[in-house]
Amino acid sequence: MGLVNFLAYLAIMMGIYAILSLSLNLQYGFTGLANFGHVAFFCLGAYTSTILVLVFKMPFMIGILGAMVIAGLFGYVISIPTANLKEDYWAIATLAAAEVVRIFFLNEDWVVGGGPYQGGSFGIGGIPQPLRSLFSAYTYPFFYLAVVLVCLLATYLIINTLTQSPFGRVIKSIRSGDSLPQALGKDVRAFRMKVMAIGGTFGGLAGCLWAHYHGFISPDQFLPLETFIVWAMVIVGGKANNRGAIVGAVIIMVFYNSTRFLKDYIPIEEVTLASLRMVAIGVLIVVAMIFMKEGLIKEKKTIY
Amino acid sequence: MDSTLEDGVILKIENVYKNFGGILALNGVSFTVQSNSITGLIGPNGSGKSTLFNVISGFYRKDSGEIYFQGEKIEGLNPCSIAMLGIGRTFQISEVPEKTTVMENLLLAPKRQCGEGVCNVFLNRRRIKREHERHLDNALDILELIQLTDLKNEYAENLSGGQKKLLSLGRILMSEPQLLLLDEPTAGVNPTLVKDLMVAIRNLRDQKGITILLVEHNMRVISEICDRVIVLDFGEKIAEGTPEEIQSSKEVLEAYLSGSSKRGLFNEDS
Repeated sequence: MGLVNFLAYLAIMMGIYAILSLSLNLQYGFTGLANFGHVAFFCLGAYTSTILVLVFKMPFMIGILGAMVIAGLFGYVISIPTANLKEDYWAIATLAAAEVVRIFFLNEDWVVGGGPYQGGSFGIGGIPQPLRSLFSAYTYPFFYLAVVLVCLLATYLIINTLTQSPFGRVIKSIRSGDSLPQALGKDVRAFRMKVMAIGGTFGGLAGCLWAHYHGFISPDQFLPLETFIVWAMVIVGGKANNRGAIVGAVIIMVFYNSTRFLKDYIPIEEVTLASLRMVAIGVLIVVAMIFMKEGLIKEKKTIY
Repeated sequence: MDSTLEDGVILKIENVYKNFGGILALNGVSFTVQSNSITGLIGPNGSGKSTLFNVISGFYRKDSGEIYFQGEKIEGLNPCSIAMLGIGRTFQISEVPEKTTVMENLLLAPKRQCGEGVCNVFLNRRRIKREHERHLDNALDILELIQLTDLKNEYAENLSGGQKKLLSLGRILMSEPQLLLLDEPTAGVNPTLVKDLMVAIRNLRDQKGITILLVEHNMRVISEICDRVIVLDFGEKIAEGTPEEIQSSKEVLEAYLSGSSKRGLFNEDS
């Protein structure tokens, strides 16, 4: 892979993960929902769009919309029983929900159309890339990058508008406990459910973009580990700051892909190095927690 | 409308019981609060004042008894719905959300804001802006009242205890309640400001027509602003009357003096 192509790949990954971290930031950073199952939305988005486009031969736009709707609905549905839980219980419930989604796709191969070596643990390949025939192999990543950046921009604008509105004020007041917003007549439960649905919608969008870029998805790409990479982005970038979430995604993605180059400079086997990058991300979270509690970009204060 | 609604009664508590694992926090409390009045709720520590507030505002579920607000029974409602009915409350320990400025605290409070709906945020921008300007004007007036104008852009968590008390009063006023439950509004507030606060609370009744029920330990505040005083002890109402009547009531004195605190009821400080 040439350097330019690699950079395009890296930028696409940054864009997709930035959408994920923006949506987790809405849930965790702004609303205080410890969502440990964010990968569920990513997974659902990827599978929904794949099924719509590959099995039902729908256009890519329908795939995107379907992915967002299904993931958003899932967010809404899992918050029905969990909306009154406290932070730590919420974390466990969402972690479990994400595993349920992953294990569903691991065991139910018919959902992707069935066939030998299709679905289940084999994963599913040959996911069509939108407008692929119009571009050469060299220029296509740049087109896809543009698609991702448009989606990222839309996500940023929508979430940023929401967080600066009266809606944003209410969800920020929920972070420190329910009783105050309740005493002011705010339906805390309804707000949490809305936030889960909106975050889920954009998580689904990211999943869809990811599936159609790689052309292959399988359940083992959606392990809980993915959720924690997104958490690292929010924590390092700066929680409750939308720009911070994007910066965090960029930094963590650079870290994550650095092993490709470090192998030339560090006398360690590449496989070991690849495992070490997870250690590096862990260390980064710890360092951020100790020295920069609020992340690289602090929460913005609204001045009146 | 219920027949239980006598003229001018905004809140009626009838035989309310609440126990916590065998400890009777409220033991059949009954009283009424007149519309457009300031009613004081006093009693030694642990007499059930805050529990009663929590029951009225829906944070605790009562074991039995009835509560009527404006003639309607409030039964099985959650705190949010009760707040929407028009019962506002403050907490004994003032809570402030983290990373929220004084001004944001005030702007959070108004009820039924258009911009709290997700779709409205994108589709009704002009109406949100109009509402925002109105709330901003209101908030500036209230800041003046609670004397926090200079701190409007400060994070609320950095305020002193007394200032937080004032902020929670200001915040609940922004939500325009009809009945206001104030849990020790002057605790921790500096004495000169307490005088202003008393005037302000009286103005709330006279100018805005808000009915106020307040828990207070500062007897000077009670005797200066309250129309009526209700005394609780061990979860029971032991006396009710004008501040003067209460001050001369033998039962009330006994309730205070028999407690662990030998401090007199009517000391100047509190």
